[in-house]
Amino acid sequence: MSSASQADRVDAAASGAALRLDHVTKSYGAKTALDDVSLSVPDDAYVTLLGASGAGKTVLLRTIAGFESLDRGAIVLKGKSLDGVAAHRRGIGFVFQNFALFPHLNVFENVAFGPRNADGRGRHDRTIETKVQTIIDLVGLGGLETRDVSAISGGQRQRVALARTLVSEPQLVLLDEPLGALDANLRTRMCGELRRIRERLGITFLHVTGSETEALAMGDRVIVLDEGHIAQVDRPDRVYARPRDARVARFLNCYNLIDGRLARGGFEAEGRLLPCAQVGPADAEVYALRQDLITVSAGAPGGSPEGPRLPATFMASEYSGPAVTSFFRLESGRIVTVEDHLGHREPRTYDQGSSYDLVWNVEDALILPRRASDGA
Amino acid sequence: MTAIGDAQAAASATAPAGKRALTPYWLIAPGVVWMVFFLVLPILMMVYVSFWTQTTFRIEPILTTKSWQTFFASDTYIGALWTTIRIWLVVLAATFLIGYPTALFVGLFVRNKTVATALLVLCVIPFWTSFLIRVLAWRPMLGKEGAINDLLMGLHLTAQPIDALLFTELSVVIGMTQIYCVFMVGPIAFMLGRIDPNIIEAAQDLGASFWRIFRTIIFPLSLPGVVVGAIFVSVMVLGEFATAAALSGRKVNLLGNIIVTQVGSLKWAFAAVAGVVLTLIMGLVVAGLLRLVDLRREL
Repeated sequence: MSSASQADRVDAAASGAALRLDHVTKSYGAKTALDDVSLSVPDDAYVTLLGASGAGKTVLLRTIAGFESLDRGAIVLKGKSLDGVAAHRRGIGFVFQNFALFPHLNVFENVAFGPRNADGRGRHDRTIETKVQTIIDLVGLGGLETRDVSAISGGQRQRVALARTLVSEPQLVLLDEPLGALDANLRTRMCGELRRIRERLGITFLHVTGSETEALAMGDRVIVLDEGHIAQVDRPDRVYARPRDARVARFLNCYNLIDGRLARGGFEAEGRLLPCAQVGPADAEVYALRQDLITVSAGAPGGSPEGPRLPATFMASEYSGPAVTSFFRLESGRIVTVEDHLGHREPRTYDQGSSYDLVWNVEDALILPRRASDGA
Repeated sequence: MTAIGDAQAAASATAPAGKRALTPYWLIAPGVVWMVFFLVLPILMMVYVSFWTQTTFRIEPILTTKSWQTFFASDTYIGALWTTIRIWLVVLAATFLIGYPTALFVGLFVRNKTVATALLVLCVIPFWTSFLIRVLAWRPMLGKEGAINDLLMGLHLTAQPIDALLFTELSVVIGMTQIYCVFMVGPIAFMLGRIDPNIIEAAQDLGASFWRIFRTIIFPLSLPGVVVGAIFVSVMVLGEFATAAALSGRKVNLLGNIIVTQVGSLKWAFAAVAGVVLTLIMGLVVAGLLRLVDLRREL
């Protein structure tokens, strides 16, 4: 499998794989949720799993955790097959999207639930209390032990959920959209916190998210999941700069994708031949241009005759603080988005309805297949 | 800017505030009027009448504690008091033991809300027949030549018909349990249905067995439902008289039956005493049950 071998190559430098999935397949009736998923997750790393809603992220996570059985394939954790191993014996912790805290217990009791109730016993002893206290301090909840979980903030609840999982010393922690329930400000802070806590423990976190910025910011490694199959596994900067196919590029939300086809001497799209520096795969059908790598030229016909350019009409722009996003209409009616980062470029104003030329470096354009075939 | 804005907001809020603050109370005015005239005043009247002087055919508004003394000196009345409490406790336990597992199934294991609702509606089916028919239908079921005895003898499990089934305390308990069970099932199933399935999965992932999850998570979270169900059942059983009369052949006398008899023979003061005692017991029971959980947290 290419995705697996790709991951193996990337991980070759790191220590061995913590988790390996081989040809994992799972269907619900006629719907295939996971289609022959193979991947390996490195040890002692923060891995993000990025996918649109319905891409199968949660199913994949729940399958790894042992909440769902798989139809075919194998899951191997630290060299041991998890086939038939119950969820709580896998050494895998799970942090739920909505935290799933026990509403009638306080912070300490929530964290202590695992050690106290595991294996059918109801234990209350000093060693458990010390261990729970250590974890509570680690996640920064010291002083809130006796608070009701309904009386603490969202970020603190997130920490309780994490501490409750960490206290049973898992080798791998699965986090299902852990920041989804937090507001934007808190999300940024929790990102750093999660990374810090993981580094202290030296275990692997597999963090599922639907947000491309979160996936890129958090992960040592990013796995892109698309309609139940692995679309790409790579370092965040490489996923961002070199998406493997048009679907990944679309998902990153920062590419303009122009349909066309490869032709001699370039790429045929929008009724003209666009030059390209790289030799794309033979089945390439999409010309991908990153939104922040396009320059708008005032349409002076002189300009630089070399290099690719497309005439376009300015429609509207949106101001978002550090950047301005402008929308242009190509002759074919396709909308192209251009992002100007205000720190780097002078803010420019365009006249609505006027014509401009969109210019870019030929090296920045990517030629992508619509969807990377697994053999490619 | 903000200061001005705040001041304006405050000014516009204070002007009609006095009038506006009272407006919502009109919503409960009809309810309050109704309750005062048809509940609070009659209860006060009942307490008052319980101190009136009762002679054989007359009752006079001369205050005395004679009815109270008679009530607590009489074996019949005290016996009825204990029977009421005993039957209440047995029916409460029976509805809980039968109702909780049912509610557990409906509320926790049936995740399809439509199916869950359909099952709860099934529990209400006994109420589609009238009270009288429902109670009387127990007779051909439990009687000496009734369905159950026929079946037991037909299967050669018993040689003789069991006559303890009808016209005993047992038959009263059976009848009441059947009728009031649904009031236990409903609130518990509702509370169980509100438990986030992720919570139970989280507990499983932490290694707790089903029994421990039930003890430490599910049961505590369903307790408000148990208390509400227990209040429903208690209030209805404590005030019962018809089931007891019909299924015990008038052998089991509850406080409710005493009240009916006394009113029938125009002994208003005695009836009032029994009524006050019953009301006090209900008040104590409800207050005691409410102490078990903090229902405010569930609202």
